[in-house]
Amino acid sequence: MRRSVMFLALLATLIAPLAAASSGSGLQSFGHSVTIDQPVKGDVQVYGGAATVRDIIDGDLFVFGDGVTFEGNGRVTGNVIYFGGQVTNREGRIGGRLYSPTSFESAAAAMTRSAVILSLLVVWLIAAVILALMSGRELRLSSVELRASALHCFALGLVALTSFVLSAIVFSYLIPYLIGIPLLAALGVFAMLTKVYGTIAVFHAVGTLVAGSKTRDQLARRKWLRGDLAMVVVGLLILGAIRMLPVIGPLVWGGASVFGVGVALATKFGRREPWFLVWRPADA
Amino acid sequence: MNEGCQRYIEDPEANASHLETCDACRALFGELGAPPPAPRPISVDELPLAGWEGASHRAWPLVVAGLVLLAGIAGVLFAIAGISPRVLFAQLPSLDVMASLIRGGGAFVQNAPMGWQVGIGIGFLVINTILYVLLRRAPRGVDAA
Repeated sequence: MRRSVMFLALLATLIAPLAAASSGSGLQSFGHSVTIDQPVKGDVQVYGGAATVRDIIDGDLFVFGDGVTFEGNGRVTGNVIYFGGQVTNREGRIGGRLYSPTSFESAAAAMTRSAVILSLLVVWLIAAVILALMSGRELRLSSVELRASALHCFALGLVALTSFVLSAIVFSYLIPYLIGIPLLAALGVFAMLTKVYGTIAVFHAVGTLVAGSKTRDQLARRKWLRGDLAMVVVGLLILGAIRMLPVIGPLVWGGASVFGVGVALATKFGRREPWFLVWRPADA
Repeated sequence: MNEGCQRYIEDPEANASHLETCDACRALFGELGAPPPAPRPISVDELPLAGWEGASHRAWPLVVAGLVLLAGIAGVLFAIAGISPRVLFAQLPSLDVMASLIRGGGAFVQNAPMGWQVGIGIGFLVINTILYVLLRRAPRGVDAA
């Protein structure tokens, strides 16, 4: 495994300059704003600035910074993807779709924020119930690990999330060589599974901390608040209620995701097996 | 003499099972002629509650109540705001947007300034080395609990 990772890293480092040389069309800008005064064939990317479009862009427009302004004959034949700022004067000027990763939040801001969050919590609840029924023991072991080694799980989660992002960037170098797409897809699926499993393990841990039985008598007296399923539901309802709070909610939910990714990896999805086997010579 | 031996010397009755696993203590106390104390019966009720006890119980009423509570409040809020819940699906990126994002991501890293690319390469190696070191630590939850 270690050799594979090292080989992949070396491969990406060696191929990167070739990949860079192969892409020439369009326009990229880093750290400053761009004004399109003449037709551009290919994608235009602006990172850390605003885009003013006064002529035709025959491709997609990406703006990660201060938004997009259309003026004069400005038009984009493809998709407009932006993060931060606003798109002004866009009517009839975008051939593809207008998309922003933050549009969930902006849509939610108009009185539907709470409804959107609650709808997502319903999806989380269904996923949590399915996972608790399928892998209750694994969830329980991850929950125990989280409560016993919270700091380690948090550190591992932070490092793992950073690793996902950096690995995705490095895999992006390989997109022109076909292998990049399956690598990115595999990384995305793995990251998603890790986040979902880990977050549900955090639900279990929170539920157990708050509503778990402390004694055998207490356990015997309870009808509802016992078992993995109940702990997961209680934890989800508590974290979900906190998620509804305006500023603290997203922070707490984000923190839970970090803990979750950490505990999922620390316990290998609750299986408590080592990720790496140590090679030893066979005894005679 | 280890910690187990010390505990046995201090309280032989409470740590009677130590004699079964320690040759040195067995030989020493056998020479002294001391009869091995009879092990005390274990009272299950005195043991701490294990995590797996009652874990397989399925509290379906709680699940249904939680589901109805969340879906009900969400439905009421959507109704008050006058917006269809389909807004959730409308905000998901389509396939062509996903393709644009992937293509854009590839172009970003390939056209980034050299300093950024070197930083990304070094960061990739450093972070994954730290991840490898952290993943080598064995989980200890069950043993610590």
